[in-house]
Amino acid sequence: MPEVDLTIEICGMSGDGTIAAGGLLNAALSKAGFFLMAFDSYPAEIRGFGRCVTRSRVGMEEMLALASETHVLISLDDEQSLSRVPFLAKNATVFFDNRPPSFVEEGRSIAAHVGPDVTLLGVPFRDLTARATGTTRGRNLTALGAFAGAFDLPPGPFHEIIRKKFDPKGEKVVLANIKSFDAGLQYAREKLDRSAKGIFPVPQKTGEETDRVLLSGNTAIARGALDAGLKLYFGYPITPATPIMEYLAKALPEKGGRLLQMEDEISSIGAVLGSFYAGGRAMTATSGPGLSLMTELITHGVMAEIPAVIIDAQRGGPATGLPTKTEQSDLHAAVFGGPGDSARIVIAPTNVSECYGYTVKSFQIAEKYQTPVIVLTDFFLDNRVENVGMPRAVPEEIFDGNVYPDPSLKDRYRRFERTESGISPRSIPGMEGFLFTTTGLEHSEIGVPDYAPQNHMLMSDKRHRKITGAMADLPAPREFSKGGSLKVGVIAWGSTFGSALEAVRKAEKKGIRAGALKITSIFPYHADIIREFMARCGEILIPELNYEGQLANLIGHLFRKEVQRLDRVTGEPFPASIILEKIESLAK
Amino acid sequence: MKTSGRVLAEKVAKIKDSKIFSIRSSNLPTWCPGCGYFGIHQGLNNAIQQLGLPHHEVVTVSGIGCAGRYPFFAHTYGLHTVHGRALPVATGVKLANPRLAVFAVGGDGDGLGIGGGHLPHIARRDIDVTYLLFDNSIYGLTKGQPSPSSPVGFKTKASPHGTTDAPLNATLMALSYGATFVARLFAGDPEAITEALVEGIQHKGFSFFHIYSTCVTFDKQFKTWDHLHEWVHPLPDSHDPTNLKQAMDEALEDQFSLGIFYRQRKE
Amino acid sequence: MSGQHFLVIGNGPAGNEAALTLREKAPDAQVTIISRNLGGSYCPHLIPDYIAGKIPEECLFVVTPDAYTDKNIKFRHGQRVVDLDPMKKTVILDHKEVIPFDGVIIAVGGKPRIPEYLRVFEDSLLTLKTVEDARIWVSMLPETDSVLLIGGDLTSFAVSKALIHLGKKIYFMLTEHAFWPLRPDGALLDEVSQRLACRGVEVISGKRLKSLTRPSGKCVAARFDDGYELEVGMIGAFYGLTPDIDFLRRSGFRMDRGVLVDEFLHTGFEGVYATGDCAQIYHPDLRDYWVSIGHANAVILGRTAANNLLGGEDQTAVVAESIFEVEGINVNTSWWMEF
Repeated sequence: MPEVDLTIEICGMSGDGTIAAGGLLNAALSKAGFFLMAFDSYPAEIRGFGRCVTRSRVGMEEMLALASETHVLISLDDEQSLSRVPFLAKNATVFFDNRPPSFVEEGRSIAAHVGPDVTLLGVPFRDLTARATGTTRGRNLTALGAFAGAFDLPPGPFHEIIRKKFDPKGEKVVLANIKSFDAGLQYAREKLDRSAKGIFPVPQKTGEETDRVLLSGNTAIARGALDAGLKLYFGYPITPATPIMEYLAKALPEKGGRLLQMEDEISSIGAVLGSFYAGGRAMTATSGPGLSLMTELITHGVMAEIPAVIIDAQRGGPATGLPTKTEQSDLHAAVFGGPGDSARIVIAPTNVSECYGYTVKSFQIAEKYQTPVIVLTDFFLDNRVENVGMPRAVPEEIFDGNVYPDPSLKDRYRRFERTESGISPRSIPGMEGFLFTTTGLEHSEIGVPDYAPQNHMLMSDKRHRKITGAMADLPAPREFSKGGSLKVGVIAWGSTFGSALEAVRKAEKKGIRAGALKITSIFPYHADIIREFMARCGEILIPELNYEGQLANLIGHLFRKEVQRLDRVTGEPFPASIILEKIESLAK
Repeated sequence: MKTSGRVLAEKVAKIKDSKIFSIRSSNLPTWCPGCGYFGIHQGLNNAIQQLGLPHHEVVTVSGIGCAGRYPFFAHTYGLHTVHGRALPVATGVKLANPRLAVFAVGGDGDGLGIGGGHLPHIARRDIDVTYLLFDNSIYGLTKGQPSPSSPVGFKTKASPHGTTDAPLNATLMALSYGATFVARLFAGDPEAITEALVEGIQHKGFSFFHIYSTCVTFDKQFKTWDHLHEWVHPLPDSHDPTNLKQAMDEALEDQFSLGIFYRQRKE
Repeated sequence: MSGQHFLVIGNGPAGNEAALTLREKAPDAQVTIISRNLGGSYCPHLIPDYIAGKIPEECLFVVTPDAYTDKNIKFRHGQRVVDLDPMKKTVILDHKEVIPFDGVIIAVGGKPRIPEYLRVFEDSLLTLKTVEDARIWVSMLPETDSVLLIGGDLTSFAVSKALIHLGKKIYFMLTEHAFWPLRPDGALLDEVSQRLACRGVEVISGKRLKSLTRPSGKCVAARFDDGYELEVGMIGAFYGLTPDIDFLRRSGFRMDRGVLVDEFLHTGFEGVYATGDCAQIYHPDLRDYWVSIGHANAVILGRTAANNLLGGEDQTAVVAESIFEVEGINVNTSWWMEF
């Protein structure tokens, strides 16, 4: 299979249609059969005035992470694009409009700033589209067309996607946009020196029809919840979780469910707990600051043994932090946040498919283990787009996870019976003869407050063995290596895992015996499996996007010596190259 | 109707022997003898019985405080949650299974202090939950601090020179938040509570019950039985419970009139 | 010298040498070299060997873009100057970027010359000056059996050698423009024609081209004034080079076919010099203007211009002699005036 690993960026100012062009590019490339991972940055201000950058990494196999360098930069606004020049790879290609509306000072043209190895392709975006359609509005499509033409991409998928997207606006708009695109395509085919180093035909994927769809992490989570039978969503807007609420606001009512935007995060989690208590599946999604507000009720859920499903879309912290930047620093808070011994189930997907799958499973797990389940994602994972196989939930994953009491216990029911597994069968309001009151106070088996010393020991033990028992139903750590003894073992979680795996694979190609361990069940964690992997490694490297090395703090003790921490808080996804560098230095 | 604490206790004892008490749980209440909450408890239980609600389809959600202990003493499904959050939890319960009769109970500290931010929203959403606010103008469980509804000059260990903050008017608040059924009652008159509750429970929307009560242990100056019996009186006959503005005027002017202040007609 | 910005327009031997000299002599100045073509500085005289397949494309380049970076010379390739204002001291690039300068050396060289009466056929004629041109030849030649070369400048002889090497049938039309800009005498022309014929080249003379048509995508039909008709795959026009300075017509320079400069290569505007093939240089002894051709001359002229821009007063000098080899005959020249 031919090698393709191309990172394409489109950069412009608000109003240039940057994000729209990026979306069309991703859809067309996905349709053409490529794998891709894409991530956009938006202007920071609400006014929406500022730089927009779309990044798409395209290849023939699953993309695990974003690349550090850009191969193609399409500049819709030179001044904004200047900021992207430092990231250009050697022999990169830059498309820019060589017929700007007015004269440009030397420093403000991108032509003045690219290195000599860069192939600079001037295409008169504005002129071409104005000539084709009468306005310059379609210049972003012209730019896309020029890119497609230069790199020999088939225009078919692009035409289809343009048609699909603009159909609601009428045939005239569709045709005008196709014209804009084609104007760029023609120009590239006819006028650009395609023998230049920076242009090459992109090999096509042959044959295979793809059933792949473009999904963001957030959309995958929302779809997973819906497919799992979500009926109620209680939420509060917070970046980056808001899109989940917005998706469900439309989709839930269509499935007979209901979405309430609550007055704060506290009432959101309160309502979720109330719903599960009454037997209904509910969910809320938030970020760090919201999670901290929910802490009290989460620990209540742990103590009163009430299920809940909470999505924590991590962002830069602490406190209000960096709302539009990615980070993985809520691990401590998610697992341990709150007073007392209240560790609860925390799982962390590493890609869009897992965002879907783990959300689906979380309901069942929450119900069976009668405790809040926190699904940790991060800004990058939530907002990035991957083309994945159409996600579908299998019935086994979505059936009711509750363990109900045996009917013979009617009128003799003890809600918090100390069973061997720690799971006390629970009744649902409406079941006659199985009444109980649950409480956040320490309680006896029948649920009345009880502070006796023995009772507290026994109940604490019951609750903890229940949570530990959940390991059987939670995804086990997964190893990616050639097995046996390894020089360097990399353990990573969340979106960082993709970068770690890419780094490990590159290290293997360089002859280093490296391996990766994917941890998705953060708590309870499979200590035995992790310990076994660590024992086979000379060094353990734990890269994560937080300053305090939170995963390392959690599992580092399982290694015979100190783990190597690689903590990074730049607000950007973890570059695979940095992990690779560290692997190489550890392998010396 | 005037009764003293002793007379009430006799009344209670009489009813205890009747079948109405079957709804009581096996747990002995931890409230102090003479606590006004017994009256409310009785009033609510009778309403449930009267309506024939099967008690396994009743859920009582409470916050923290003496009032918060309520679910343990009622033979229903109970959810004793954290301070101030009974209302959102009750919302979740009701929406998950609308067949259930859902009651939220809590004290004045729970409902007007930490929980104050939730009342407007359950009211304006008109969730079909019945909320009983047990207002004894004190924090009893924590041994006698002022609450948001304590009067100016209220002296406690936490306010030795008397409070200086103006008290909140829960009835007025509920009316201004758009609650579609608002009643103010008195723990010393359980029958009136039952009567109003029967209506409120059947009201298809949020029903708010502001119930004055006493804390016999820690409040010897303000809401004592004697004071309350002296001060309370029914709403004037001319009161039109479909007139919101009139209801709000009434709540503003008169702190101790009792009855159904407002009910919004529902189709 | 520090903080000043010097521009060199053109990346041929003259421009390249000028830029390197400026960098060497003004280490603190900003030096930018602007070239219309993509890629580094190439050797024009190696192009026929490239077409013949004797050398790979990389070998055409003497200076790679990286070499400029190493010397801290900003290299802007694939960017074309469309205007130069010597009063405001700015150049404008074709994408409307305005670049101010403190000093500029114009070294744009020449472009293939098409005589007026052949302009109507311009679309069907191929020229061969740049690497881009060469790539077109390389892509077309495999599908071509026969090539007609018209004109007969010095490059054309090297090209005919290359095409013979590739096994193509060659028709060569020698006209009065042969050896342009040299004026050969009749004897030299005859000698050359004979030697060409010996190598299987069909020499056409005494005719003028009347029409060019395209019966199909793959061939061109040429008809001459005496009725002679010819069908070939490609037609190459080799009428020499003419200074490529149309973009300067509005700038206010004294120009003829090239930019007129004094013996110091100065245009008369402060900080503006022209050098190499695009300049017509005043010779004080002859009281007339001369032009140079040849790689070696271009390099010297580039260096001279740079020195003078930085305050020197070097008079232009030329290589003692340049020898062009044509069909085994050595033609000795270094400069000339008539053309």
